[in-house]
Amino acid sequence: MSKVRIAQLSCGPEYSGVQNEIAEAARSVDAEIFFPDITLKDIRSGFDMFGLDVRSPDLKLAIARARALVEGTVEADAVFIATCFRCAEAAIVRNELRRYIHENSRLPVVSYSFTERTTAGTLLTRMEALTTIARRRALLAREVQEGITMGVDSGSSTTKAVVMRDNQIIGTGWLPTIAVLKSAEDAIELALKEAGIPRDEIQAVGTTGYGRFLVGEKIGADLIQEELTVNSKGAVYLADSQHGPSTVIDIGGMDNKAISVQDGIPGSFTMGGICAGASGRFLEMTAKRLGVDITELGPLAMKGMSTMVPMNSYCIVFGTQSLVNALAAGSTPEDVAAAACHSVAEQVFEQQLQEVDIKEPVLMVGGTSLIQGLVRAMGDLLQTDILVPPHSQYIGAVGSALLASGFIREP
Amino acid sequence: MKEYTPRYVGTVTKYVFVESPDMTPSDLAIRAYEISKGVMIKETCFGLQITGSKEEVDQIIARLREFDPSHIFVKDRGFPPGDPRRCRANLGGARPGYYGHEFEISLIRHVSKGIQELPGRAPDQPVHPPEATGPAGLDARKLQKIIESQES
Amino acid sequence: MAKVFIYPTTSLILSDLVARFGHQPLSAALQVRENIQTAGLESPPLQITPEDPKKGLKYAAVEVPSGVRGRMSLYGPMIEEAEAAVIIHDADFSFGCMGCARTNELIQFLLRKREIPILDLRYPRSDEEGVEFVAAIKKFLEELPGGGV
Repeated sequence: MSKVRIAQLSCGPEYSGVQNEIAEAARSVDAEIFFPDITLKDIRSGFDMFGLDVRSPDLKLAIARARALVEGTVEADAVFIATCFRCAEAAIVRNELRRYIHENSRLPVVSYSFTERTTAGTLLTRMEALTTIARRRALLAREVQEGITMGVDSGSSTTKAVVMRDNQIIGTGWLPTIAVLKSAEDAIELALKEAGIPRDEIQAVGTTGYGRFLVGEKIGADLIQEELTVNSKGAVYLADSQHGPSTVIDIGGMDNKAISVQDGIPGSFTMGGICAGASGRFLEMTAKRLGVDITELGPLAMKGMSTMVPMNSYCIVFGTQSLVNALAAGSTPEDVAAAACHSVAEQVFEQQLQEVDIKEPVLMVGGTSLIQGLVRAMGDLLQTDILVPPHSQYIGAVGSALLASGFIREP
Repeated sequence: MKEYTPRYVGTVTKYVFVESPDMTPSDLAIRAYEISKGVMIKETCFGLQITGSKEEVDQIIARLREFDPSHIFVKDRGFPPGDPRRCRANLGGARPGYYGHEFEISLIRHVSKGIQELPGRAPDQPVHPPEATGPAGLDARKLQKIIESQES
Repeated sequence: MAKVFIYPTTSLILSDLVARFGHQPLSAALQVRENIQTAGLESPPLQITPEDPKKGLKYAAVEVPSGVRGRMSLYGPMIEEAEAAVIIHDADFSFGCMGCARTNELIQFLLRKREIPILDLRYPRSDEEGVEFVAAIKKFLEELPGGGV
């Protein structure tokens, strides 16, 4: 298999000590990073024609290189845009280039702002998704599940398993992730039991999520795939929106994904995971503090008004403190629940959703999509009706089972 | 992260650019080989890269400059020649510094002219270097007059 | 012989003229060479490791992007060493080491704060300007301590 060639458009990684981490992440998914070769003349004309008059020469170079990729004078399979975290000039360029490439080419693109602490591990899922999109378009084109397959999503908070037969979900299992392998085994047992199918009748298996490699190896998965492409696929499949554009939002236990999808394939995506205040974890803590089960938080929030509770912090620690203070000052649990949902939605809106183009339908998936208060808050912010497909909490497992049917061997 | 063991420790590498109507990079290379005494010389599209001890490199460069003083330009290089970290073949594209050279080479003929003219200049002749900042903004009173003349 | 900071630090023209007229140009290459020739942890291409942006904290606060601080870990010591500086102001096509406009602003500011002799000019656009450009640099360098070739 030939290496996937990922064009790097960047300012600063060599000087932040992270260029090797970027190259390493690409290497680990059998891809290679390269810098589009252009001339000084191309830089001048590319930069002038783009029309964004930035000062930093390396950003001018990035703009001109993006132009060469869009015009096809330099060939690539995917694009990785990386600039320094906290640089306003670079953030503007990063966003505009991502949009420009997304709108004017078929190249999958991901943008990232790094610090000196960025490691290859952090970048791995993004690189893996880029290479999957470039390398496995045929696999990702699958729209119908066939035979009997199973998908396992080993997430940071919960483990999900799904058994499918002839395009129907016939068994599900859902458990908190405690020990990765044990939780996966138990979730699989639940799904098989509900499906009423012995394990040896499963014809192909796919895994995704944080524990995908460990679980995949253990159970002999046919497909081990990162959650960006798998969840996109699962989302449009369950929402019956496999053709045309859509936007997938997945607020997870440890990170958030916002994916701009075209015909079921991610075109550009972002993944955030620096702050727990923007994750499902914050809602879990809120539920605990309110003395309700996480499944009750959503209905509770639907009865409350987020504006009634002052929230001045995005931090999970200080944010929880604000909620505690509000309760002490007489706020109702309903309003506090609504405020927590609004806080998470607002952070995802500000941090992730600015980096992808929102196109309808907007699909919310993952366990947090079952918290109605969160879905409502996100809908209010985006001013659109958000669609939560059936079985949305099993999105990764369903996507895996669907894609795994491409691996069924003919008897 | 892996341990890093440097190579060519204690050496210097210098670029020698030639931008001349009378001398090509390969002419320069031939001259350099004649006087190189085993110092590493690499021919490139713009001239040479010379690697060795500082004294050896400086000696060769001093001799080379004599061949065409106003058209030979020298600068230090951080990397030894052919280093895979900077090599075009490995990066897919030119290293960033290449474009800076390309830009300066496009106007270096004016600098050559300056070097040629220097001996003919009186030592006390005042200098008028290209000014760093552009002309000052328009005087407000002048602007007012222009506006008035347009309105009348 | 004076140590002369050249801006852009990657300039062939300034490197050449400063050395030609008998002084030591402080260019990016010297600092890169030191990095490349020092054993440590492998971090290609420039042997700048994640520790270097932390060294850059001496020159720029933690909220300043890592790329600025990493570059300052190269240039900060050179600025401290410099006895004079020549600054070309229209260096719009100097990439890599000079690729970040914010770093470049900080370099110029720190040089001026040192109150060393500084020559400001721009690239020559004609032969006439070329003559004045070279003459001005020569005159500036001759007037430095140890100047006059």
